[in-house]
Order: sequence, then structure tokens, then C-alpha cells
Amino acid sequence: MNSLFLALLRDHRRHPWNVLLSILGVALGVAVVVGVDLANSSASRAFELSLDAVSGRATHQVLGGPAGLDEAVYTRLRQAGVRDSAPVVEGHVQIRGETLTLLGLDPFAEAPFRSYAAGLQGGGMTDLITSGDGVALSRRAADRLGLTAGEGFSLEVLGERHPVTLETVLDSDDPALDGILVADIAQAQGLLDRVGRLDRIDLILEDPAAVQRVRALLPPGADLVRTEGRNEATLQLARAFQVNLAAMSLLALLVGGFLVYNTMIFSVLRRRRLLALLRMQGMTGGELGRRVMAEALVVGLMGTLLGLLAGTVIGRFLLQMVTRTISDMYFVLSVTALDLSPWVLLKGLALGLGATAVAALGPAWEAARVSPRDALSRSHLERRVGRLIPWLGWAGAGLMALGLALILWPSRSLVLGFVALFTLILGYALLVPLGLMGLSRGLAPVMGGVFGAMGRMAARGVSAGLSRSALAVAALAVAVSATIGVGVMVSSFRTTVDDWLGQTLQGDVYVSAPGRSSLGLNPLLPEAARPRLQALEAVQAVSTARRVPVQSPRGTLELMAVDPAPRTPEGYRFRSGERRAAWEALARRDAVIVSEPLAWRLQLQTGDHLTLRTDRGLRAFEIVGVVQEYGSDRGLVTIHRDRYDRYWDDPGVASLGLFLDPGIPRARALAEVREAVAGLDAPVLVTPTGEIREEAMAVFDRTFAITHVLRLLTVGVAFVGVLSALMALQLERPREHAVLRATGVTPRELGAMVALQSVLLGLAAGLFAIPLGLLMSDVLIDVINRRSFGWSMAHSVPWRVLADGLWLAVAAALLAGAYPGYRMSRARPAEHLREE
Amino acid sequence: MRHTGRLWMRRILLPLLILGIAGCGKGPEPAAGEGDRLQVSRALGGDDLSGYARAVEPRNFRFPRDHGAHPDYRNEWWYVTGNLEDAAGRRFGFQITFFRFALAPEPPSSPSAWATNQGWMAHLAVTDVAGGGHRAFERFSRGAAGLAGAQLDPFRVWLDDWRLEAVSGNDFPWRLRAGAGSVALDLRLQALKPVVLQGEEGLSRKSGRPGNASYYYSITRMQTEGRLTLDGEGYRVSGLSWMDREWSTSALGEDQVGWDWFSLQLADGHDVMLYRMRLEDGGVDPVSHGLWVDPRGGYRPIPREDYRVEVLDTWTAPSGAVYPVAWRVHLRREDRTLEVRALRPDQEMDLTVRYWEGAVDVFEDGRPAGRGFVELTGYDPQGRDAQTDAHGPS
Amino acid sequence: MANATATPGEGPVLFVRDLRRAYEEGGHRRVVLDGIDARVERGEIVALLGRSGSGKSTLLNLLAGIDRPDGGEIQVEGQRLDRMGERERTLFRRRRVGFVYQFFNLVPTLTVAENIALPLELNGLPARERRSRVEDLLEQVGLPGRGGAFPDALSGGEQQRVAIARAIAHEPALLLADEPTGNLDADTGDRIITLLRDLVRRQGRTLVMVTHSRDVAAVADRVWTLCEGRLDRGDVHP
Repeated sequence: MNSLFLALLRDHRRHPWNVLLSILGVALGVAVVVGVDLANSSASRAFELSLDAVSGRATHQVLGGPAGLDEAVYTRLRQAGVRDSAPVVEGHVQIRGETLTLLGLDPFAEAPFRSYAAGLQGGGMTDLITSGDGVALSRRAADRLGLTAGEGFSLEVLGERHPVTLETVLDSDDPALDGILVADIAQAQGLLDRVGRLDRIDLILEDPAAVQRVRALLPPGADLVRTEGRNEATLQLARAFQVNLAAMSLLALLVGGFLVYNTMIFSVLRRRRLLALLRMQGMTGGELGRRVMAEALVVGLMGTLLGLLAGTVIGRFLLQMVTRTISDMYFVLSVTALDLSPWVLLKGLALGLGATAVAALGPAWEAARVSPRDALSRSHLERRVGRLIPWLGWAGAGLMALGLALILWPSRSLVLGFVALFTLILGYALLVPLGLMGLSRGLAPVMGGVFGAMGRMAARGVSAGLSRSALAVAALAVAVSATIGVGVMVSSFRTTVDDWLGQTLQGDVYVSAPGRSSLGLNPLLPEAARPRLQALEAVQAVSTARRVPVQSPRGTLELMAVDPAPRTPEGYRFRSGERRAAWEALARRDAVIVSEPLAWRLQLQTGDHLTLRTDRGLRAFEIVGVVQEYGSDRGLVTIHRDRYDRYWDDPGVASLGLFLDPGIPRARALAEVREAVAGLDAPVLVTPTGEIREEAMAVFDRTFAITHVLRLLTVGVAFVGVLSALMALQLERPREHAVLRATGVTPRELGAMVALQSVLLGLAAGLFAIPLGLLMSDVLIDVINRRSFGWSMAHSVPWRVLADGLWLAVAAALLAGAYPGYRMSRARPAEHLREE
Repeated sequence: MRHTGRLWMRRILLPLLILGIAGCGKGPEPAAGEGDRLQVSRALGGDDLSGYARAVEPRNFRFPRDHGAHPDYRNEWWYVTGNLEDAAGRRFGFQITFFRFALAPEPPSSPSAWATNQGWMAHLAVTDVAGGGHRAFERFSRGAAGLAGAQLDPFRVWLDDWRLEAVSGNDFPWRLRAGAGSVALDLRLQALKPVVLQGEEGLSRKSGRPGNASYYYSITRMQTEGRLTLDGEGYRVSGLSWMDREWSTSALGEDQVGWDWFSLQLADGHDVMLYRMRLEDGGVDPVSHGLWVDPRGGYRPIPREDYRVEVLDTWTAPSGAVYPVAWRVHLRREDRTLEVRALRPDQEMDLTVRYWEGAVDVFEDGRPAGRGFVELTGYDPQGRDAQTDAHGPS
Repeated sequence: MANATATPGEGPVLFVRDLRRAYEEGGHRRVVLDGIDARVERGEIVALLGRSGSGKSTLLNLLAGIDRPDGGEIQVEGQRLDRMGERERTLFRRRRVGFVYQFFNLVPTLTVAENIALPLELNGLPARERRSRVEDLLEQVGLPGRGGAFPDALSGGEQQRVAIARAIAHEPALLLADEPTGNLDADTGDRIITLLRDLVRRQGRTLVMVTHSRDVAAVADRVWTLCEGRLDRGDVHP
């Protein structure tokens, strides 16, 4: 059957645009999926590795309260003969702008735990312990940071710079160590301001008896947890974020799949004569269908391979963004290598080929149904499509109803949410031909009125060639709507967060120690700060805050201890519970309020109890409210400072909110505040509320940068889609155009008609995309986002996003019309008249 | 006698520093090649002794103060060995040693309780003559945060839960508690003789160079009673122990291969220490000597020319090392000929640093005449290569 | 298929009885063929005349197995086409039927030789045999050495020669031609008809040929005329 294949292949060579664009479409779709997948899996893998590197072979860990663990607990364990134990002081430091995890270890205790610590043998270990400023990095990390053994450099810790020396370069190429800086525990305690405290004790406990024995030795504020569970919980934090990314990337593949469908169905329709001829020669429908499928798979394979290649490139780029977002929001992560796991590549290959195969099912079926008699007439097909359109419409309506039902189905499943989303999209796509038919019929007179005969013909050409144009428009609408949906979602989120910031920042000025970060413990303010500021004439009231991680039977939670000023409660938007009653309860009882994400994640409601490990042991706190909070997607527990001081030995305050006297000019008040803190024994930052808000929004934008990039990539796929579909559509009809030319249409008129028709289709795609895009954003906001993070958001539809969608569709359509228009207008009509 | 500082440096402390961290894991970690060890040891500046206190002249020993640590010197140890038996006559030997070694002359300046320049290692071994044979364990720790150290008032030397401490104050009785694996000791030690100073009034010279010497004293006979647990079985045991204390900052002769060291407690109340420093050429270093302690605690040195040791029998360890395990010792001035035989041959300490340390019986004219301990180093063929290597460039 | 080759030489190549076919058109039924009876023996050439829309192409499609009759019987070499499924008919056509069209219908993306080889390939002939057979056929249709050309480089007459070569390449029992000269000038048409007749005669094939032209019909052994759904079998012998 060689020559058959040749016949079809040579056909593609005569129409390279279609194949090339469809390969490009698959490639882009696969590239985005693989890129995101690679970035995600690399980040997860790196995180798992670095968790392993950090926790080593520890089976259990002893964790302390907010202020860490008294180091005497470790000595007690050792003297009680708990041998497989190692003390750890852990924190984040910056080297040359990069954040690394500083691990303070006792090299003597390390052997059972972290194998790379064996690299601290000999002189390395001695120097690390005795030099007083020694730190160790893996060779890779040192190379990356441009440091050599013996070199002095400075570390930034909690906003302060400390000179250190790279005493030891660990002889390891393990990428897990890329983000880890090792120091002797004494040194780390000094750097992280943890003298006398440990962050945890790593243990290898092999049987329940050993666990019981250790538990009996611990003070009430210390918790013994399984390492595996704790690491898993940490990984789980970023999972929703990653699932979201993956789903967005699937959207790109979906659009890519539409492109394949588009191209293949075109190639079938275009070659109907050829196929009918082959049927005449005795080829069965099955043989032709299989051949078309094989062809599609070849296109899919080429596109997929190209996509895998491009995906690794995109992945490298996305990895930076994913890593940054994860580092901003979840845990400090240093990933320098893309983990090109064959599994991810295989998955990409399967997805690419699978999507192509699914997309080619229709075209293959169509090819199989070509009857030898169909060799001549087109109208036959158009009639059939015309009959089919209402059925497609019904199917579409059914799918959309199913999608809506899935959305309303009470469930917490994120996957189900995405299934619903994709069902809705498919259903909508099936409705597009119906809409297009109506639109073009309605438009024909209008176009005729505006553009004359050419306009009328352009509009009629759309509905007459519905078998082709409807498919193209449906694909385009989906592609464009994806960009609209995501755009609206991000914008809604941004607006919500901005609003929330405006309300939550009740104070006029905030005072904090330098070196704050959203991760880890924040540095404390000097004790003198509060009394000094409170005494100022310009300051009417002061609130304080301290955010710390606390242990609970349900994992590590973020706890915020707040000493409210009179206006502080107004900064909280209660989703349930009542503001005044809640704040009274906070001050008087063992009560807390929790943020939406936490309430969602742990399925908590007002009236439930949340158990926290305090320095006095486990205590249950009543939940008196659920509030909106966008600072952390892990969730936040808010407690009154008085209760905090009662249960935890951690007197420090990390930030002060100042409420200024409105009667005093703001500038003077600020100057007074700055003057008051200038004399403190440690530097502090004075930040007006407006600046905090700006900073927070900057972080927000950085976090969502990857979403924007994905949206742009989807736009790219959509653009290719518009281009390929419309170009194919136009390049398809040389004969029709030749006839027009022969009957006296000028090249310019013909070009105009082609361009008009393209724009019409692009416009249609853009218009159809808007409702779908809005629907998509609703689902993203109220279902996907809510099930991922638990946040509630106000919807905000910026006109720009909608306009961008339209603009994108029309611009691509114009571009797509330009080349065929140009070609048609130059072609000698006789050539094309003869061809068929 | 452990005043052969060079060997200790080479054989124990350096490898310890180098390997210790990797070596104290549970499984037998693959040891780095000896060549690597020494390379690292050079990087370590192993022979750089500047900044440490040196043993230059005899010192005024004072007790209990000198039972405590001397952190200005580079290395120091508390070494206790003994022979025990239960009421049924079942024989046991035990050894526990606490080694202190300074990683640097000065501790780093830091507010942290973990900041230190002191490292610690401890060895524990029990020989069950009749049954389980010989078992040896080692541990490491930093000398800070209460994890390991030596202190006075009350006297205590410890690493994790292994500890030798005065029952109260600093004086005897002392209590020794240590356990690992299926072995545990809980013993009470009572000195039967006063401290004896080794060498020249406690200054034990290594070579002609000043400072190449250690401070060295012993308590040669301690009544020992208590409980020994083996594989879950407890034994009430009693017997005699011997303690060596030594601290130094030494650099050293280069042709020494290893030593054979004897500490013998004779039934007639005398105690004998003897050692032979073996040289590469097969001879015995003339600095080798001994000490003769009479039943009341009086003592005198035994010069090199006044004793002779003949090897009667050897044993090949699984490691390939061939150890002597029976000797005939001639003491010229005392006119005694003692036959020394290992209680069992397999008392090799197969730890990060490999050596043989075992309980022995003493016979005279074919009759039991005492008990003791023997230490043999430099028999490990791997170790010897390392030793040879070390001579080259240094 | 076994039967198809079991009976060559015995009985008629084509046997049609009471063949009927009607189409739904805009709600009413148009009868195109209304009880056709016909019989064609091996080696015969039959010309099928009739006005446009008289059902010539429908009849041809039915004979080729492309279309299914509403009723009646079609036998080709004793095989009941009307009882076969779509796939069987296709495979039967692949083996036993050749087709020559008015518009040549060469595969534009295949060379002349590849076009001719197509039915051979479909019938599973090995490549080497195909090559020699194609050369032979090119010789027979007067296009030696043109095998490498693409159809669009050929004149109409040449294209039709290629189409004839392709139609007879796999030695079909029944050769069908739909106005083979309809798209050619008179001279060229004559030469094509002569070629077709000579080949059919020489090889003992059977040809049913739709034509408008009496001249063309003149080469036929018999001439049928389709009129109002029925066949007028003039059985004219020239």
C-alpha cells in the first residue's frame, strides 16, 4: 500500500500550511502540558529530595512550640540513651539574593541521618565546628553561587548580614543539596537567633516501644511526629497549586486537540474526491479511515515530539516561575535542574498521541463514510452538516446541562470540578455551529449593506461552507475563551485581594523588624518599641501581631497572635460568626478565628473546636468565626494575644500597627514615629499602609506571573488555531475563487472578500468566546479555586480581557486571511479552473 | 601505657576525626581507603600542634583535680580495664575508655552552648570468656551541651549514657554505667592503692625533643563489684580493675610500628605495667619500659634492659591481622618469669580504629598467679600500610 | 471470491434481472431504473445510450457495486452483487471491475506508473511484477517511458490512456466506462475508443460503456438505450 500513502502524503506536500500549522498546534499544546508537568514534577521532586536531604533517614521528629524546643530536651534524650537522635536548627538565609535553607547540625550526631554529612569528615568537620564562622555547601551549590572553598562571603539572615566562610565544600553532586547550607549547630543558633533552642530533633525510632519511651521523656510543649507524615503534609500544601497549573496546561492541550481535529477534518474534506476515487478503485471505508487515522497519528507524533522538545525548553522557564511561586507561598525551594523524568515525557507522548487520536476519530469516521459516488458534489456534504447541526446543538446542550449538574453536585473533588469544566467547554463547542449559522444568516444582509456584493458573498460563504467554518470557529472560540476565563479569574482574584488588603490593614502605619518574610519565623521587634511608640502624641492606639507555626494533631498550622487596637476587629470580614461577639470571645475564652482556606481544608465551622499543641500541652480552642484571609493559602488561626501569652512562652512581637491621631498632619506623625524608633537598639522598618498594600500586590502579581504565562501560551495556541483554520478554509477554495475571477471579480475585490470572510469568522470566534470565557471564569472562581484553596472571591470582569480576546481572534483572522487573499488575487483563474 | 602519642595520633585520633562521623553509624560503613584518611589528615594539619599546652616538665599532680579534663592539651583519656567473675566463677573482661581530643586550640566564640573545640570518643568492650565471646562498641560526641565531657564536683566523665562518676563528691567509690547492644555494665570501683605516676614523676617522654611527652598516671588496683548484663541475663560480678589517665600534645618518632602493652595484677599483691614499642626494623624502641608496684602502693620503674618478652602463640583475626596471644615475660630484677595467656584469642576491637585489647591470665611455674589486660596495636595490615605511608612526606 | 474465479468462461459475465432504483428527491420519489433486464457475454462490448438524467450513470454505479439496487438481481461472473454488503462489493470491485471516467480521475499526487500500479497494489501483486506489468501496459496504451510523469503534465488524451491502462491493469472481468471520450476532442476521442476496443478485443475483456456519441457506439457489439427507466436492447450489430 505504499503508493496510497504516497498519494496522501504528496497531497500534504502540496498543502504544507495545514499540516505544518497542525503540527505546530499539537506541538504547542503538548509543549505547554509537558512544560508545566516537568516544572511541577521537577519542583515536587526537588522538594521531596530536599526534604529527604533535610530530614535524612529520620523516622520521627520532635517539634517544639513557636519559640522552638529547649535544647536541654536533646541532652535529656541522649543521656537517657536515645542514641539515634540528632539536633537540628533550621531557617532561611539569603546568599547573593538567593534563599537557601540553613541547616544547623551536630556533625557528631549525623551519621545515622544525613549521608552527605559524611562529607563533613576530617578537616571539614573540624573547621566547621571550631572556626566560628564556617559553613558548608555542596559542590554544585558552591559553583552555582560562584563560591570557592575558603572564600568569605556574607549571609543575610532576618534582615541582617553576617560574614561567614565557606569552610567546606561537600563532595556531593546531589541536586537535593542545591538549596541547603550546612553549618555547625552552634553557628546556626547564633545566625538564626536561636541560642538555647532547637527547631527539631530528628530520631530513628524502630518500634512503638521506642516511640513511647521518647514520648515519656518530652515536656508538654514538645510534639513527636512521624517524618513521613510531616513531609507529606508539607508537599500537600503546594499540591492544589500544582493541580491547578496542570489543569490549565490541559486547557492548552484541549485547544491543541481542536486544532488537530480541525486540520484532519479539513484534510478529509479537501480530499474527498481523492478518497472517493480510491473507494472506486476498491478501497474499503475502513481502510481509508485507518489511513486517515494513521496520517493523523503521524502528524500527532511529529507534533508531540516537537512538543516534548519545546516542552523541556518551556519547562525550564516555567520551573523558575513555579519555584518562585512555591518559594513565595509554600516553602523555600531551590531547583536548578529540570527533572527530565522519562515518565513525564512518556505521559506527554501518550497525551499528545491520545489527543490526536481522539481528535482524528471524527475525521477518520468521515473518511470511512466517503462513498465512491461522492466524488463530485460538495453540496451533498453541506446538506448533511446542515442536518447534523441541530443534533450537535442538542448534544451540546445536553453536555452543558451535564456540566452544570456536575458543578452543582456537592463535592470537594477538584478533579470532578475540572471534569465539569471540560464538559461545559465541549458542550459549548458543539453549540457553536448553530450559533454561527444564525450569525452568518443574520449578518449577510448587514454585510451586503456595508460591503456590497462581496460582503454578502463573504457572509454567505461562511454558512455555505459550514462543515469547515463551524469547526474552525468552535475550536477558536474555545481557545480564545480559555484566555478570557483565566484572565477574568486572575483579575477577580486580584481585585478581591486588593479590597481585602484595604480593609484588613486598619492601622495607618506598621512597624516591624527588617527581614520579614511570608515563610518561617519573623524577626522580633525590640521590646522598647511598643512603649515608646504608644507614648507618642500622634499615636492613638497600637495593635500587635506575631505569626508563628504551631503543631496540632492535624499538622502544622500558622497561628497569629493579635493584641487588637479598638479598630482592629473591623479589618476582619466574617464569612461566618459575628464580629463583635467573636472578638469578645477571643478576649475572654479559649477561642480562635480561622481563615477560609483553613476552614475549607480541615472542614471546620464556627462552633467546632480546634486542638493546638501549646507549651502547656494540647488545648482545644473554640472556633468563633471564619474570616476571609488571602495572606496564606494554608490558612491562618487568629488568637488573642492574652490567650497566646497564657499558653505559649514566646513574649516577642513581630509587628505593631499604629493608629494615628487624625488631627495631626500625617507627615508630622510619621516623622514622630520614625524619630521614636531611631533610638532603638535594633533597626526597625516603618511602613505606611499604602506601601504595604503595594508590596502585597507586587507579591500577588509575582505569584500569578506563571498563570499569565500559561494564559499567553494558550493565546499562542489559539492564535495558531485561528491562523491554521482560516488559512486552510481559504486555501481550500481556489476553484470557487477562480470562477469568481473568471466572472469578472477583480483581484482586489476577491482579496477583500477573503479578508472579510476571515474577519467575520474571527469575530464570530471572538464573540462566541466571551460567554464561554465568562462561564469558565465562574467555574474557575467558584468551583476550582474554592475547591483548591477555599477562598471566596468577588467576580470582576475587566473589559480589557474581553477586548483582548476579541482582538486576538480578529487579528489572527486577518493575518490568516491575508496570505490566501494575496495568493488568490494573484492567481491566474484558468489554472484553477482546469485543475479540477 | 598510652604515652606513645604519635601512634595514638596516627592510629586513633586522626582516623577518628576523619572517619568517626561516618563510622559511628549502625551498619558497617565502608571505610575510606587509608590513603584517603591520610590525605585528609594532612589537610587537617594533623601535626600542627601550635596553640596547645605541652608536657614539658614534671607537673605537680593534684587530685581530684587531675581526674578532670585538661582541655588545653590536645588529647586525653580515661582508660579502665578489668577482670570480673560471678559467684559461679564465670569469667568476664571489660574495657571502657573515654577519649577527649581537641579539634582546635581555642573554642569558637559563640553564645551557643554547643560551641566547642572538644570532641569525644568512647569504647566499650566486654569479653564473656565462657559464652558470647568479645563484643566491642564505640561512640562519638561533641564535648558540649552536656552531651559528653569530664567534670569535677562531682567527678564525672561521660558520653551520652555511658558514664564513670563518683557516687558523691570526687572521691572513690566511683560508679561506672554503660551499655550498648545486649551488653550493660553497672559497676562500683574502689581504689585499693593510691595513684602511681608513670615515667619521670608522671612525665612520660616520647623522644628527646622537649614537649614530646605526656602526663601519665594510673590507679593499678581497684576493687570492682556490680552487675553485668549480657543478652538479657544479669550477673553479679566482682574483681579488679585498673585505670590509666594520660594527656598530652605530642609529635613523635617516626619508626614506631605499634606496641604490646601489659597491665598485670598478680595474686601476691604486686602490679606490673610493661610495654614494648615495636620498631619498623623489628626491634624494640629503647624508650620502652615498665613499672613495678608493690602491694602497699610503692612503685619503681622497670628499665628496658630489665625485662624481656617472648611470644609463645599467635592468632589470626578475620581481618587478617596476626596477633600474639601468649607470652613469656622475664623480669630480671624481680627474678620472676610470668606466662601470660589471653582468656580467649578473639578480643580484637574491630572498630573505626582496629586493635586488640583483651583480658589475660598470668601463670607462674604452671600455676595461676594473677590476671590482667594486654593491648596490641600495629598488627592490622591495612593500618601498617597507612603507617608506612605516613612516613614518606612528613 | 472463490466463486468469482471458479466460473470464468461459463455463463454470462453480466446478468441483470428486474433491476430497480429510485431516489427520494424533495419529498417525492423519482424512479430512475424501472425493471432492467440484461445479459452480457464474455468479450462483448456494449454501448449504453440515453439522454442526460436517463439513469445511465445510476445503472453503471449499480453494475460497479458502488450503489445498491432497490430490487432485482445483478450477477457479475455469477456473483450476486445485490446480495453483498458494502465491504464485499468493494473488495469485489477491487478484483473484478475496472472503471474509466469522463474526467480521467487520476490520482494527481501519484505518477503515471503509480496510478496504473494502484489496482495491482490493492490486489497484492508484488512490486517487481507490478513494475514489469506497468511497463507492459504503458506500451499497450502508447505511452512508453512516460511512467515517471505526474498526470497534470499530460494532455487529456494521454490522461485517458493512463486511466484505461489503470482500468485493465488487474485484468477485470468487467470494464465499465463513463463517457470516456466526453472530455476529449473528436480526434483524440476516436483514438481513445480505438485503443479501448483493441485492448478489450485482444484481451477478451467485457466492456459496458456509457456514451452520448453514436460514433462511439459504433464500435460496440450491442447498443442499449435507456429511456424512462427501461432498457431498449436494440442489440444492434454493426
